[in-house]
Amino acid sequence: MIRAFVLAAALLAASGAGAETPGPAPVRLTLGGEVSLAIAPQDPTFFNYTDYEYNPLRLARLGLSGAFRVHDRLALLGEVRSDNLGTPRAHALYVRIRPWPQRPFDIQAGLIPPVFGAFARRSYATDNFLIGYPLAYQYLTAIRSDALPATAADLVRMRGRGWRPSFPIGSQEERPGLPLVNALRWDTGVQARAGSERFELLAAYTTGTLSSPRVRDDNGARQVSARIASRPIVGLVLGASAARGAYLARESTEGLAFDADNFLQQAFGLDVEYSRDYWLVRAEGVWSGWDLPSIGGPWVSGPLRARAFSLEGRYKLWPGLYAAARVDHLGFNRMQGMSVTWDAPVLRVEAGVGYHLRRDVLVKAVYQHNRRDGSRRRALDVAAVQLLFWF
Amino acid sequence: MKARAALLAAMLGAAAAAAQDEPRRGTIRGSVDVRREMPTAEDRPAVGAVGMAPHHAAPDRRKSVVYLDTAPRGAFELREGARAVMDQRDETFVPHVLAVAAGTVVDFNNNDRTYHNVFSFTKGSRFDLGRYGRGRSKSVRFDRPGIVRVFCDIHSHMSAFILVFGHRFFAVTDALGRYQIDGVPPGTYTLVAWNDGQARESRTVTVPETAGVEADFVLK
Repeated sequence: MIRAFVLAAALLAASGAGAETPGPAPVRLTLGGEVSLAIAPQDPTFFNYTDYEYNPLRLARLGLSGAFRVHDRLALLGEVRSDNLGTPRAHALYVRIRPWPQRPFDIQAGLIPPVFGAFARRSYATDNFLIGYPLAYQYLTAIRSDALPATAADLVRMRGRGWRPSFPIGSQEERPGLPLVNALRWDTGVQARAGSERFELLAAYTTGTLSSPRVRDDNGARQVSARIASRPIVGLVLGASAARGAYLARESTEGLAFDADNFLQQAFGLDVEYSRDYWLVRAEGVWSGWDLPSIGGPWVSGPLRARAFSLEGRYKLWPGLYAAARVDHLGFNRMQGMSVTWDAPVLRVEAGVGYHLRRDVLVKAVYQHNRRDGSRRRALDVAAVQLLFWF
Repeated sequence: MKARAALLAAMLGAAAAAAQDEPRRGTIRGSVDVRREMPTAEDRPAVGAVGMAPHHAAPDRRKSVVYLDTAPRGAFELREGARAVMDQRDETFVPHVLAVAAGTVVDFNNNDRTYHNVFSFTKGSRFDLGRYGRGRSKSVRFDRPGIVRVFCDIHSHMSAFILVFGHRFFAVTDALGRYQIDGVPPGTYTLVAWNDGQARESRTVTVPETAGVEADFVLK
């Protein structure tokens, strides 16, 4: 995979020589920021939680980003975020290098944006028409990276309880489960981009995985992820992504006859975006599989699979006013001998409007319906508003 | 804010200054020397992007607009059918500053290979042209005097000014900073030089019956 990427990147970079050149570098430091406040009722069903504390529908976020251009080939970029007035943390911190100024080939290293899929790089409130996130990038499934079910029954008992699954092996602390792709945290490693206006190729080699991006390594393994995107006509973007990496933490397999780095998360993604006039439509599918060790019967058979599909659209009704909606489904496979899927399928429909009070001030109001085929709390209907300011 | 209010008043031509029927008309000419430090157009930090942003041109921010703050009575000559063009080229609005009389239709041509989405949220002149590609053009008629800020919804670094006047006594400086306003009836006027929404200076000029007048500005 890596060899194929290097070859394709070299071809793309060579073919795009001269087509894209970095501009002059008169400005050294540029700053930007995003301040958002989302208000919604309590969510006792945990449909929207990204972990115990953070719910995009009930989130105050202050983000400050900066780019320091050292040279026209070298820049340092970073972003600091504070959620719900908590301690600021580095969301991004990396170096961007363009080795050959005339060739569209860039390398980034550090705490870097994900290459997989389409949504994770535009999860900012300014880029999200609605307030909630797509299920693939937010919903917490019943599996964890630091704790393991001993049997398939242990796992099925946690169906629909992704905000606080507990298992007999590994960590006994109460922690949230894993999403298919974590859009809230970025991974650490190195990535490369090669491309032209028509084709773009991205690849990354990182410490964590899609589900569990990390700053510090917890299993000695690495993830390889890649994305290819094409713009065959103006307004149309087609993308395909893949990722493969060991997701289990060492602590989950301590005392067992397994090595954590043998258990992989493998994912594939397809995305499409089309826009024209006042319309913008996006669709994205993510298929993910996680290997789990078989420890006791009834056995956890084969990789646990999940598939998510979302379709969203925005239509500008009036200057500054738009309507948007997203339909989202998350499904899971059934383990051998089990009568139900390993986690509870989820359906979400979110619709709302956004209005620009000014160019840099946006207010959104949404209504979200969630339904889960499992657990005691199976549905949530909630309204939320968000005020957003960016600079 | 005060400067904007003053400009709006000027554009509305609220104050009349000179005689109604003047047979002779003069010329005001001069130059505007912009000495203030020009902010360089720069994208917001694209932290979520993988790789450097494609090159885009820098807008020409040195061009200024010179106009009469107090227009002659009877100067409200809305010219039906007047048109002007603001191109979108190399991810930049060209020109960066456009001055037009009220009633002018401005064509926003897209000469780039990507989509653009021109819009303005200026009070009284809100519009959104939606996304359109290369070779296409959409138009907006500007009837209300004032400063209209124009942006692209896709490229946050793209911005421009359209100054809409209720009279025709205005000019945009050329590449050397020179300007000329013709056909001005004799009288005493307040002349204003404006640059990029950041600098403004005014002075009183008297246009004689038989000759033109020179007025130079230095904007810091």
